[in-house]
Amino acid sequence: MKKHDIKLSDNSYSFVLTIPATILTAIFIIVPIIQSLIMSFQKYGVKNIISGKPGTWNNLRNYIKLFEANQIPEAAYHTLWFVLFVIILQFIIGMALALVLNREFKGSRFIRSIMMTPWVVPTVISGLIWMWLFQPQYGFAKYFISIISFGNINDLAILNNPETALGGIAIAALWKQIPLTTLLLLAGLQNVPNSSLEAATIDGAGEVRKFVSIVLPYLSPVIKIAMSMSIIENFKQFPLFWTMTGGGPNGATTNFAILSYREAFVSMNLGSGAAVTTIWMLMMIIIVGIYQKSFKVQDMS
Amino acid sequence: MKRKKLKFIKIIILILIMLFLLFPIYWMLITSFKTNMEAYLYPPSFFPKNFVLDGFINLFTENNEFFVYYFNNFLVSFVSAIITCLVAIFAGYSIARFNTKWSKTFVAILLSSQMFPIISRMISLYSMMSKLGIINTRSGLILAIVAAQVPFCCLLLSSFFLNIPKEIEEAAKIDGASRNTILFKLLTPLVTPGILAVGIYAFLMTWDDYLHAATLIQSDNLRTLSVGISLRYLGELSYDWSLINSISVIGTLPMVLVFFFFQKYMVKGLVAGAVKG
Repeated sequence: MKKHDIKLSDNSYSFVLTIPATILTAIFIIVPIIQSLIMSFQKYGVKNIISGKPGTWNNLRNYIKLFEANQIPEAAYHTLWFVLFVIILQFIIGMALALVLNREFKGSRFIRSIMMTPWVVPTVISGLIWMWLFQPQYGFAKYFISIISFGNINDLAILNNPETALGGIAIAALWKQIPLTTLLLLAGLQNVPNSSLEAATIDGAGEVRKFVSIVLPYLSPVIKIAMSMSIIENFKQFPLFWTMTGGGPNGATTNFAILSYREAFVSMNLGSGAAVTTIWMLMMIIIVGIYQKSFKVQDMS
Repeated sequence: MKRKKLKFIKIIILILIMLFLLFPIYWMLITSFKTNMEAYLYPPSFFPKNFVLDGFINLFTENNEFFVYYFNNFLVSFVSAIITCLVAIFAGYSIARFNTKWSKTFVAILLSSQMFPIISRMISLYSMMSKLGIINTRSGLILAIVAAQVPFCCLLLSSFFLNIPKEIEEAAKIDGASRNTILFKLLTPLVTPGILAVGIYAFLMTWDDYLHAATLIQSDNLRTLSVGISLRYLGELSYDWSLINSISVIGTLPMVLVFFFFQKYMVKGLVAGAVKG
């Protein structure tokens, strides 16, 4: 055994170590992705699974049908609206919380720790918690809104109204995701050198000025990563939508995830579902690519 | 004067955000201890008038298939976490120490495979695994889930391996230690915090899984928590909210315990994985 070990070159040893991960990734991620790309051009339904027959080429029928029924543009609109809304508010609120928690004060460690609680609540259960808060007859949100609107809005049913349902899901997503953003931003704030901040204070710079010209540049690498993680996560969000509205009311919350799941696993039209995911992935690659290119990280070292 | 105003604003911001983050948890907890009658009061009560365990008792007596899902979830999450850790030790070390052509490609594969939505894989995995006969089995589910965790976890653990000085390894090599001894006997104990971070992360992510179980599992007795809850307890018409909130409390509890018990490692790991990796 030992002799064999010494003979093994760096190259082959490092390769051997990656084999389990490579096999898993290849079988369960890479191959299925390629296969679903192929399936998106085929008529592939439940019959094909039972009989084991391969799908048949159907002249882009999957795509044409989805566009003709306006399903893809609508799903794209809902997905993008949701992503944009969530990441902007998530950044603002997460940043505010991180800045407040960045100083040591009585109880700051405790708050930093319990603030993470929503992040560990399982996604489906987060959906349930917010469904209960948003419950149209007895929900807390209805009561709360009727009080702060001085009794003007008494019938808030956020998830049952096509105009507000997407916003309701976005609030649940924010609730679950703000803790992680705050945690990452807090870690990034540790890298901002105190000496620069002190020097700026002596020069008479105000808080806003210091934030824009010292804190933000030092924080930019962390912001870039935290936001790109958030873009990807919200682009893919499924369980919150599925439990809270199931894509309704009236299709108002049908994003790419819901549409593809419905096509593939409810209507059992796997080819059509694959067509949705193909467009979905393409859009995600383009948007994440543009984001990575256009977000300039300032080099402060 | 200005300082005081700033401090005041900061305290208001802190209170508002913390209320937003913690009030829903409080609401879930108190609803689980209310009777259904009281849960349906409007305006709602902010503290249970009759502190009862109806929801929990109901769960144990009438709706105890919940514990089948619960047990499955534990089993699947635990096994997935362990396998993920093993795979991540091998690959993480390889990425951190060897700068070969393949390792660059390998990292690129891992990074890009994190981006693909689960559903797009499930569509073809569903038919592929039916053919292989591992659909509707726990082991099939575990393999698919492990594969989903592997990319992030390998990168995460590699950042821990990177922090170990190379000299330690070289000294052991001179003493005649084999490669495997170096990796498993010397380095693996040194990255224990990283392994814990990966294990807990994988456990939490699997505990949270919905889509893998929803598509790959059809038998009720193999279902995991998230799917079980949404299929059995979310009827179209009637919701038993006191029961649902009890389920939510019990379903969340292990995650909260695991997280707060291992918080130190978890936070370090998340930050290392996201910020450095």
